[in-house]
Amino acid sequence: MSNENQRTYWKSLNELAQNEEFVKASEREFPKEASELKDGLSRRNFIQIMGASVALAGLASCRKPVQKILPLRQQPEHMVPGNPLYYATSMPFKDSVYGLIVETREGRPIKIEGNPEHPSTLGSTNVFQQAATLELYDRDRSRHILQGDQQASREEFEAFCAEQFADTDQRIAFISEDSSSPTYLRLKQAVLDRFPNAEWVNHEPFSDENRLLGNEKAFGQKLRTYHHFDQAKVILSLDEDFMQLSDNDVENVKRFSEARRVKSTEDDMNRLYSVESAFTLTGSNADHRLRVKAAQIPLFLNALAARLSESVDGLEAYRNHTNEFSQHAWISVLAEELLNNRGESIVAAGMDHDSDVHATVAAINLALGNAGTTIAYLELPHVEAGDQNQRFAEVTRRLGAGEFQSVVIMGTNPVFTAPSDLNFAEALDAVPVSINLSNHVGETARLCDWHVNKTHFLEAWGDGYSYNGVRSIIQPMIQPLFGALSEVEFLNMVLNGEYTTGYDLVRETWQSFAPQDFEDTWATVLHDGLQEGTSFPAVSVSLANGFTEEAGQVLGQSTPVDEEALELVMKVDSRVYDGRFANNGWLQELPDSITKITWDNVAQISAATARRIGIPDERDFGDLDAHKIRITAGDQTVEIPAWVIPGQADNSITVTYGYGREGFGRVADGVGTDIYPLRTTENLLFHSDVQVERTGEQYAIASTQDHSSMEGRALVREASIEEYRDHPTFAPDMVYIPGEVDEKSISRYTLFDPQDYPENEPQWGMSIDLNTCIGCHACTIACQAENNIPVIGKREVHREREMHWIRVDRYFSGPDEANPQVLHQPVPCMHCELAPCEQVCPVAATTHSDDGLNQMTYNRCIGTRYCANNCPYKVRRFNFFNYTKEYLTTGEDPEVVQMAMNPDVTIRFRGVMEKCTYCVQRIQRGKIETKRETDLKKPADGTVKTACQQACPANAIDFGDLTDTDSQISQIKRNERSYLMLGELNTRPRTSYVAKLRNPNPDMA
Amino acid sequence: MSQKYKYKPEPALVEGDHDFGSITKLISDIPQQATPKWWYIAFGISNMVLALLLGVVTYLIVQGTGVWGLNKAAGWGWAIVNFVWWVGIGHAGTLISAILFLFRQGWRTAINRFAEAMTIFAVMCAGIFPAIHVGRIWVVYWMFPIPNSMQLWPQFFSPLLWDVFAVGTYFTVSLLFWYVGLVPDFATMRDKVKGKWAKFTYGLFSLGWTGGNRQWQNYEKSYMILAGLAAPLVLSVHTIVSFDFAVSIIPGWHTTIFPPYFVAGAVFSGFAMVMTLMLIARKLYGLQDIMTVNHIEKMNIIILVTGSMVGFAYIMEFFIAWYGGVEYEKFAFINRATGPYAWAYWIMTLCNVISPQFFWVKKFRRSVVMSFILSIVVNIGMWFERFVITVTSLAQDYIPGAWAYYTPTLIDVLTFVGTFGLFFTFFLLFLRFMPMVAMAEIKGVMPQANPAFYENDKMADLAKGPGEQQTGKER
Repeated sequence: MSNENQRTYWKSLNELAQNEEFVKASEREFPKEASELKDGLSRRNFIQIMGASVALAGLASCRKPVQKILPLRQQPEHMVPGNPLYYATSMPFKDSVYGLIVETREGRPIKIEGNPEHPSTLGSTNVFQQAATLELYDRDRSRHILQGDQQASREEFEAFCAEQFADTDQRIAFISEDSSSPTYLRLKQAVLDRFPNAEWVNHEPFSDENRLLGNEKAFGQKLRTYHHFDQAKVILSLDEDFMQLSDNDVENVKRFSEARRVKSTEDDMNRLYSVESAFTLTGSNADHRLRVKAAQIPLFLNALAARLSESVDGLEAYRNHTNEFSQHAWISVLAEELLNNRGESIVAAGMDHDSDVHATVAAINLALGNAGTTIAYLELPHVEAGDQNQRFAEVTRRLGAGEFQSVVIMGTNPVFTAPSDLNFAEALDAVPVSINLSNHVGETARLCDWHVNKTHFLEAWGDGYSYNGVRSIIQPMIQPLFGALSEVEFLNMVLNGEYTTGYDLVRETWQSFAPQDFEDTWATVLHDGLQEGTSFPAVSVSLANGFTEEAGQVLGQSTPVDEEALELVMKVDSRVYDGRFANNGWLQELPDSITKITWDNVAQISAATARRIGIPDERDFGDLDAHKIRITAGDQTVEIPAWVIPGQADNSITVTYGYGREGFGRVADGVGTDIYPLRTTENLLFHSDVQVERTGEQYAIASTQDHSSMEGRALVREASIEEYRDHPTFAPDMVYIPGEVDEKSISRYTLFDPQDYPENEPQWGMSIDLNTCIGCHACTIACQAENNIPVIGKREVHREREMHWIRVDRYFSGPDEANPQVLHQPVPCMHCELAPCEQVCPVAATTHSDDGLNQMTYNRCIGTRYCANNCPYKVRRFNFFNYTKEYLTTGEDPEVVQMAMNPDVTIRFRGVMEKCTYCVQRIQRGKIETKRETDLKKPADGTVKTACQQACPANAIDFGDLTDTDSQISQIKRNERSYLMLGELNTRPRTSYVAKLRNPNPDMA
Repeated sequence: MSQKYKYKPEPALVEGDHDFGSITKLISDIPQQATPKWWYIAFGISNMVLALLLGVVTYLIVQGTGVWGLNKAAGWGWAIVNFVWWVGIGHAGTLISAILFLFRQGWRTAINRFAEAMTIFAVMCAGIFPAIHVGRIWVVYWMFPIPNSMQLWPQFFSPLLWDVFAVGTYFTVSLLFWYVGLVPDFATMRDKVKGKWAKFTYGLFSLGWTGGNRQWQNYEKSYMILAGLAAPLVLSVHTIVSFDFAVSIIPGWHTTIFPPYFVAGAVFSGFAMVMTLMLIARKLYGLQDIMTVNHIEKMNIIILVTGSMVGFAYIMEFFIAWYGGVEYEKFAFINRATGPYAWAYWIMTLCNVISPQFFWVKKFRRSVVMSFILSIVVNIGMWFERFVITVTSLAQDYIPGAWAYYTPTLIDVLTFVGTFGLFFTFFLLFLRFMPMVAMAEIKGVMPQANPAFYENDKMADLAKGPGEQQTGKER
C-alpha cells in the first residue's frame, strides 16, 4: 500500500486543511527529536507531541473540513486514545506551590484539579489554577529568544551566556520573582557563590513581606503565618481576604468551610468578623462586617489590643492606649469574644497593611494563646533578610547609578509593576547588558537586550514548597509548545553557560532529599506529586525582646485619621492578580465576586463618596455606563471609571492593579486602566489623601449582574443559627408549594405525564450548600474549562450574553443600605423533572434522559430561544454569534488554543442553545467504567463528580445518585434545610439548595 | 298612547348617483388607466425599503441573531413583537370578509377586498419573523412535521409549533377566500381590458367565469362555506399566537386572559390599519362614494369597542395579578407600569385605551382627519402593547440576579422598517393591478339589486333624508 493510503482521515472543526501545528509536530516526530528517544523522559515527550497532534485532529465534531493525521507507530504505554491520563504536579504561585492533578488527553493537558493528597489544595482549586490550562495555550506567549528585536537560537544565547558571565567578578543584579523551588534556590546559591559581587533581590509586587516583617518585629524572626481556620471559633479579619487573594486561599477556604458546615441543629459554626474598607470575598461572607477606611484599621486594631491588654499578658505596649475607636461598640464585643475563645480564635490582617499592624496582630494572637493552636508560625528556608521592597528600591537606584554591568530579570515584570518613582525603565537603561526571562514579551522584556521565553509550569520540570512546606514536584505534561526555557534551566545557563535539562537539574536537587533509594522515592514523588512527610518546621514563638518598647513607639507616633480625606486603596485584582493573568480570556471574562464586572477594573466607591465627587450614586436598571473619575496622587494621575458598590467605606476608593496593558497580548491589551503609575515606594498599596474629580466622560462596563436586590423573593433562604435551631425546617417552610401532600413530597398535580425513570438507571441530583459557598467563582471557571465554553469578549458581555453555564448570583440584603449583607448563590441548570424548557421547544431539541438529565441536543436545536425564555432560572445560554469559531479559529495559529479544548465535549455552533449538562461526559464515563468493571448500571457514590463540584474549595456542591438512599446527595437532600428554588412552580428541580446560616453575635443584634 | 314611529332607513351604502355600470367603471378603470405619478414614487420608495429588508435579513443570516439586541434574559425582542403586530393587523381582513359576511353586514363590501389584501400582505410580513429569528435558519424546516428516516417529529406540545399551523392555515384560507371573491371581478376585468397579455392574465385567473346563473349559485355557496371555515380562524390564529405567551411559565405571559385579549387587540389594530390605508386610497382614487363617511363611522365604532375591550383586559390583568396573589406576577404588572419600561407601558395605555375614547363623539367618528390620526395612533399603541408583553416580562422575571435590560439595535429597527417595504410593495401592486373593491359584491348591496327596485331616483330619494339629498349629489 502506498504511504497515502496508510493515513487515517479524521473529521475536524478546523477549517484549515493543512494544519500548521500538525505539520510542525509531524516534522518533529522523527528528525528533530529522534535522538532524544533514547532516554525514558523523552519517550514520553514524544507521546505527548504525537498525542497533541492526534487530539488536534479529533477536536470536536463539525462539518466538512477534513484533516490528515498519522497514526501512532508504536502504541505508548497506558495511553488509550479517548481516555484521559492524570498526572500529579504543582502550580507555582509566588513563593509557594499548589498541588494539582492534571488531566491530559493524548498528551495535551486540558483540565486541572486539586490534588486530594496535597494539603495545599485537598482536591480543590481556585480560579487561577483552573485557568492555568488556557495560560499554557496562550498564543501570545513569547515564542522565541530575542536579542534586541532579532530572534536568536538557544545556542546563540548559550554562547552569549558563556561569554558574558565568564568574568565572575562582575557586578550582576539578579531581580527575581519569589520562588520556593529548592532547585531554583540551590542554583541561586550557586550563582551567588560564583559571582561574589552579584546582588540578588526578589521583586514580587504583592508579597507577604509585611506579614513576615511583622512577625519579625513581634517574634524576632521572619516567620510565615499559617492559619488553621478549622480550629477557630472566632475569626477577626482586618482587610484580610484569606478566602481569595491570600497565598493559601484554597486550604483556607477548605478549613474555614469545614468549621462552617452545619448538618444538624446540634452542629456549631464559627463566627467571622470582618473589618474592611472594601468588600472582599471574605468580608462578604462575614457574620458581622464593619466598614471603615483602610487608614483606620491600624487604629481599630490598636484600640482592640488596648482593650485586650486589660485581660491578657503580652500586650503591655498597648495598655492605656486610647484613640477614636476605643469606645467603639465593636471593640468591647470583639474583646469579649476573643477572650472567651482563647486558643480558638484567629486575628488576621491583610497584606495591604504595614508590618506594624502585622506585629500587633501577631502579639494579639500570641497573647490570646492562638499561636500553636489555630496559628502555626513556620520557618521558611528561602526567606530573605530585610525588607524586600526596600532592597528592590535600593538595587534599582544602584542600577540607575550604573553600578552594575548586567542585570538579569527573571519572571517578574518590574517595568510594569515597580513603584513609579523608581523609574525602573530608566534605571534599566543605565545597565549595559540586561537579560529577561518571561512568558510574554511584556513591558520589561521589550526594554531588555536579551529576552528568553519562559516555559509554563505545565511544560517544564520544577519543584517547590507549598505554603506549609510540603515539598512538591512540578512535572511537565507536554513538550514546551514554543521551545522555551524554564527558570531553572535559564538560571543554570547563566551559571554554567551551558544547557542542562530541567529534569536533570531537579533530580540533582532531589537527590539530596532522598539520598537512599532515590529512584524509588523519585517514582513515588512523581506519582503523588509531593514528598510524604515534609513540611516547614513550626516555631514555638515568644515575644521579641524590645517589642513592647518598639510597639509603644509606633503607638506614640500614630495620628488620628482624617475622616474626610479621600483615601485610595490599591489591591491586587481577583482575576488578573498583579497583571500576570491579564492575557487569560477565561479570567478576564470571569465576573468579580462582588462587583460582577468583567473585562475591566473600576474605582469602587460608596454612594456617599459618589455624591461627594458629583457623580450619580445609583444606576438605573440597564444603565451600564460608569462615570469616569480622575484620581491624582502626588504628581501621578489616573482616569478610571467609578462604580458605586454598597459596603464600601465612605471616603475610600478601591482600585485594582493589573489592567491597562499595552503590547502584552491580544486579550490583555487595552482592557481596563493601569493604576501602577500611582504606586510609589512610599505608597505601595495605599494613599491616604488623593484628589478626585469627575471627568465628565462615561465608560461602558460589562457587568454580568445588573440587579442586586432579591426583591424579597425566597431565592436564597437564610436564617441565623439560633433561628434554625428553633425552626429547623425554616427553609422549605418559607414558600408554600401547592399540592404538597406531605412533608418533603413534591407536588402531585401536573398537566404533563411525569416521566417514567427505569429502575436500573441512576437518577442524578445536585445540592448546593449556600452556607459553605463563598462565591469565589471557581465553579464557573472549572465549568468553562471542562465544557469548552467560549470567551466572548467585553462587547458581548456588555450586551449581557455571557456564556457561563454556572453563574454566581450576588445579592445585597439587610437593613443597612450602606453596609449590606451579601448572599452568593451559584446557579447551574436545575435539571427540572418537569422542565419548562422541554415543553416549549418546537423541535424536541431539549429532552429528558432516563437518568434524569435535562439534555440539549445541539444538532437538533434550531435556536428559537423559547426554552431560554421559559426557563425560570435563566440558565440557558445562546450562541448569538459563532462564538466558538471566533474563539477557536481566529488568528494565524488557532491550533494552540484549540488544544485547550476537552475532546469529550461537543463544540457548539452558532444559533444553538447550550447549558449545564451536569457534566454528562463525566457521567457517561463513570457509567461506562462502572459497567465494565462491575456490570452495574449505577456508579458507586462519589464515582462521578461534576467539574464545579470538584473545583469547589468549600465543598459546597454535592452531586450523586438519588436512587441510592445512602449516597451523600440523598442524605443532603433529606436535610431539613434543603429546599427547592422556585419549587412552587412545580418544575421539580433536581438541583436543590441548602439554606444559608449566619452566626451573628447576639450582643450585636 | 299612540306613538308615531318614523321609519328611518339605513343610510345608503353607495352614495352618489351610481348605477351598476358606473360602479364597474369606477373600479375597473383604475387598473386600466395610466399609472399615476405618485404610484411610481410610492412604489420606488417601497422597493428601496424592501431592498433594505433584504439587506438586513441577509446581514442577520450571515452574522447571527446577535446583531439584534437580544440578551441572556430577553430571548425574544423586536422580531417577535413585529410578528405579533403584523399577525394582529392581518386579523381585520378575515373578520371583515368572513364574520361580517356571515352576519350579513352589507357595508363590508366596500372594504373587504381591500382588507383581505392587507391581511395577506400583513401575514406575509409577520411570517418572515418566526423564520428569521431562529438561530439556524437553514434548518427551520424542522418545525414542519416532515417524515424522515430518523422518525424525528416536531414536539407537539410547543406553542411555536401550533403557531406554524395556525398562521399557515390562516394564510392559506385567507388567500383562498380572497381569490374566490376575486374570480367574478377578474372576469369583469378580462372583459374590460384591451391589452392582449392583460386579457390573458385576467382570463387565466378568472377561471372561465361567464357570470352564468349556475356559476353564481355555486359561487355563492362556496363563498359561504369558505366564510364559515374562515370565521373560526379569526379567533384561532391570534388565540394560538397568544399561547406562545400564555402557555409559558413567565409572569406577565402566563395569563388565561390572553386569547380573548389578543383577538380583541388584533381586531382593534387590524381595523385601524384598514382605516389608515382606506383613507389614503379613497382620497387618491376618488372612491368617496363607495367608502363613505358612514363606513368610516362603523369602523370607528368597532375600533372603540375593541379598544375598550383591550383596556378592560389591561385592568383585568392587574386585578388578577393582585387577586391571584402570586408575588412574581404582581411584581411583573406593577413593574410594567412603574419599572424601567414604564414609558412603553404608558405609551401603550395612552394609544390603546385613551385615544379610541374620542370616538364616543359622533363628530370625531365621522371626521376623516381624526380617524386617520387615531388609526395610526392605535397601531403605534398596539405595537407597544406587544413590546410591553414580550420584553418587560422577559427582562425581569423570576430571578433578579439574571435580569437584563433589553435595548434594540439599529438592525432591529431597520428590520421592522423593512417589512413596511414588503407590505407596501405588494399593496401598491394590488392597488395597481387588481380591482380594489369587490365590484360584484358591492352591486349586491345597492338599491338596484333589490328585486323590488323600480325607479332609481325615487327609491334613492326615499332612502335618503331630505338634507342629505343635496350633499349626496354634490359629491
